[in-house]
Amino acid sequence: MSMAALYSPSPIRTLPTFSAKPYFPHKPYLLYQSKKNLTLTLTRAVNLEEKPEKSEEALDDKSKIKEDSLDSNVVVGTTVLPKFEDSRWVGGTWDLKQFTEDGKTNWDSVIDAEVRRRKWLEDNPESSSNDAPVVFDTSIIPWWAWVKRFHLPEAELLNGRAAMIGFFMAYLVDSLTGVGLVDQMGNFFCKTLLFIAVVGVLLIRKNEDLENLKKLLDESTFYDKQWQATWQDDTPSNSKKD
Amino acid sequence: MASIAAITPHFSTSGDRKTPNFRPQAHQTFIGLRKTTLENHPSLSQSLTLSNPPKPHKFQISAAKSSPKLTGRNLRVAIVGGGPAGGAAAETLAKGGIETYLIERKLDNCKPCGGAIPLCMVDEFDLPLDIIDRRVTKMKMISPSNVAVDVGRTLKPHEYIGMVRREVLDSYLRDRASESGATVINGLFLKLDLPQNTNDPYVLHYNGYNGNTGKVGEKRTLEVDAVIGADGANSRVAKSICAGEYDYAIAFQERIKIPDEKMAYYEDLAEMYVGDDVSPDFYGWVFPKCDHVAVGTGTVTHKGEIKKFQLATRLRAKEKIFGGKIIRVEAHPIPEHPRPRRLSGRVALVGDAAGYVTKCSGEGIYFAAKSGRMCAEAIVEGSENGKRMVEERDLRKYLEKWDKTYWPTYKVLDILQKVFYRSNPAKEAFVEMCADDYVQKMTFDSYLYKRVVPGSPLEDLKLAVNTIGSLVRANALRREMDKINV
Repeated sequence: MSMAALYSPSPIRTLPTFSAKPYFPHKPYLLYQSKKNLTLTLTRAVNLEEKPEKSEEALDDKSKIKEDSLDSNVVVGTTVLPKFEDSRWVGGTWDLKQFTEDGKTNWDSVIDAEVRRRKWLEDNPESSSNDAPVVFDTSIIPWWAWVKRFHLPEAELLNGRAAMIGFFMAYLVDSLTGVGLVDQMGNFFCKTLLFIAVVGVLLIRKNEDLENLKKLLDESTFYDKQWQATWQDDTPSNSKKD
Repeated sequence: MASIAAITPHFSTSGDRKTPNFRPQAHQTFIGLRKTTLENHPSLSQSLTLSNPPKPHKFQISAAKSSPKLTGRNLRVAIVGGGPAGGAAAETLAKGGIETYLIERKLDNCKPCGGAIPLCMVDEFDLPLDIIDRRVTKMKMISPSNVAVDVGRTLKPHEYIGMVRREVLDSYLRDRASESGATVINGLFLKLDLPQNTNDPYVLHYNGYNGNTGKVGEKRTLEVDAVIGADGANSRVAKSICAGEYDYAIAFQERIKIPDEKMAYYEDLAEMYVGDDVSPDFYGWVFPKCDHVAVGTGTVTHKGEIKKFQLATRLRAKEKIFGGKIIRVEAHPIPEHPRPRRLSGRVALVGDAAGYVTKCSGEGIYFAAKSGRMCAEAIVEGSENGKRMVEERDLRKYLEKWDKTYWPTYKVLDILQKVFYRSNPAKEAFVEMCADDYVQKMTFDSYLYKRVVPGSPLEDLKLAVNTIGSLVRANALRREMDKINV
C-alpha cells in the first residue's frame, strides 16, 4: 500500500527576515495544508532513498497494534525537507554580535528569533545532526531581559487587579462596619480576607484556572492512590497505608 | 519494556531493612516528600533518611505460628513466567528449600525490551560480565528544538549502563534457578483454580510442551500451595485473581542495522529524543544493541498515533541512521502503575505483572528481578524454609517491604514525569537542566546504585532555582510562540 507523501512547511507570515524557501518534492502533486493539518505519510516511489528499507518484517505476538499499513517496500521520507535557516543562526546558536544595537545586545530580538526558531521546528521537526549540533541555551539571555519582557506586564496586570479588589473591598467593609482602612489592617479576620484575595488574584488569572487547579490537585494524589489500592481491600488486621 | 537510563534523579531507600514491621519512619519520608515543592527534586534527597548499604539478607523467622506444619513434603510454589522476575524468584525459592516449578511458554523468547540494566543489578544478582553486550557510558538528550546535551561526563571509569539481550539474561537466570533445584517447565499457563478451603492447593492448568514436537501441547495440571505471577504485562495470573487493570503505555521499537561507520557513533552512546512530535508523554530513543540499534518510542495517551511518532523519531535520528535496514519491528505494552490488587490469597504478582515499571524512564528489568527475589524471600521466611504452609499475611510482608523500599523512587519519577514531560517547553527545560553537572551526578548515582547520596544543600538550592528558571523561560517562549501564527 503506498500513500502519498507530503511534508509542507507552514507559511510564516510575519517574518521579514526569514527566508522561507520551500523545496518542492518530486511528486507532481503537492497539497498545501494549513499548519494545523500537517500529516506525514509514506511514499513508495521516491528517488531519494533516505530511510531504512524493510527487508524482513516480524512482529512480536504480544503487539496490540494492527500492522496493516507497513509492507515490504516502504521507504520513508520524501525529498529534502526545508531546514531552518537564518543568517544570525551560526554554529548551532545565535550569533549575539548580529543582534547589537547601539553597542548593546538587543535581547528582545534574540528572544524573538528563538521563538521563531522553535515555532518553525515544532511545525517542521528536523533531524538532529552531529555535524551541526545545536548548543543554544536560553540562560545566555540575562535574567533582567526576561523579567522586563514577560514578568513585568503580567505583574502590572495582577497588581492592578489586586488594587481594584482591595480598594473596593476596603470601601465595602468600611461602609458596612464603619471600620476604617487602618483599623481593618489590625483585625485578624480582615487580614485573612486580604490573604485570600491576594492568593486568589495570583492563582486564578484566567477562567480556566479554577478547573486547572482542581485537576492539578487530583493529579498530584492520583499516583499515590494507585499504589495504595492494593491495601484498600484488606482485612482490618492489615490496614496499613504507606 | 525499556529499562532506560533515567536521566532524572530518582531516589530509593536501598537494601533490605532488617525488620519486616512497618514503622512510622516511612510516614516521615513520605511527608518529607510532600514538604518540598515539585521543583526541588534533588533536594528531596534530604528528607529521605537513607540507609545502610544493602546488607546480606537476615531472615527473621516470624512465620505464622498458626499455619500448619507440612508433613512429608516441602512447600510447593509455582512461578508463572520465566523472565527476570520469574528467574530471580525461582532461584531464591529453590535455594530456600522450597519445591519450585517455573513455567515458561517460550524458552528462547526475544522479549522486546530496551535492555538497559543498572550497575547494581550486576552486583546484586551476580551477573557474569559476558552477559552485557555493551556498556553505555554516554547519553545524548535532544530537545524538541534539537538542542543536544551530552550526559555522562560525571561517570567514573568503572560505571556504565549495561545493555543486555533479554533472551541471554532470561535464560541465564533460569538456568541458575534450575541448577539451584527449581524445575523449569516449558508450558503455556492457561488458568488457575482457586482453592475451595483454606489450606487446599492451587491447581494450575497449562499446556505442556516438554518432549512434544508439535505446536499444540498437552494439557496438564499442577498442584501447588502458592503461586507467583511473573508473566508480564498481559498477565494471566493477574486475570485469574481479578487483580484489576492498569493504564499502560505502548512501546514501539524497530531494530535497525546501520552501516559500521554509523554504528561506531553508537558504540557506547544512547540517545533520547523528547518532543511532542516524538511522543506527547514519553520519549523516543536510539539504543545500541549487540550489532544494531533499536529506534523506538512510546505513548500512553495517543496509542493510535504510535506509527506517526515512530516516523517522527526516525526523522529526528535520520542523519545518524541513514542507510540502515529494519530487521525487526516489535511492540509491547508497558504498565504505568501497579495493579489495584497485587496479592490475593497465596498468589502474588511481581515484575511487570504487578506493574512495577517506573514512570519517566520506563525502567523495569531491575525492579522485576528485585520484586521476584523479595517475594520469594517472603515466602521462604513465612514458611520457615518450606516447612510450614504460608498464608496471605506472609506474602503481604513482601508488599510492605517493596512499597516501603521503593515507593520514594517511584513517586519522585512520577513527579518528574508530570513536571518535565508535560509539554514542549517543559521538555526544553528538561534538556537544559540535564546539561548541569550536578544533575548528571545525582541522576547517575541514583540510577546506577538505587541509592541516594545526599548532595550539598547549596547545590540543591542552586538547582532548584535553575529548574524554575528554565521552566519559566521555556514557558515564556511558548506563549510568544502561540502569539505568532495564531
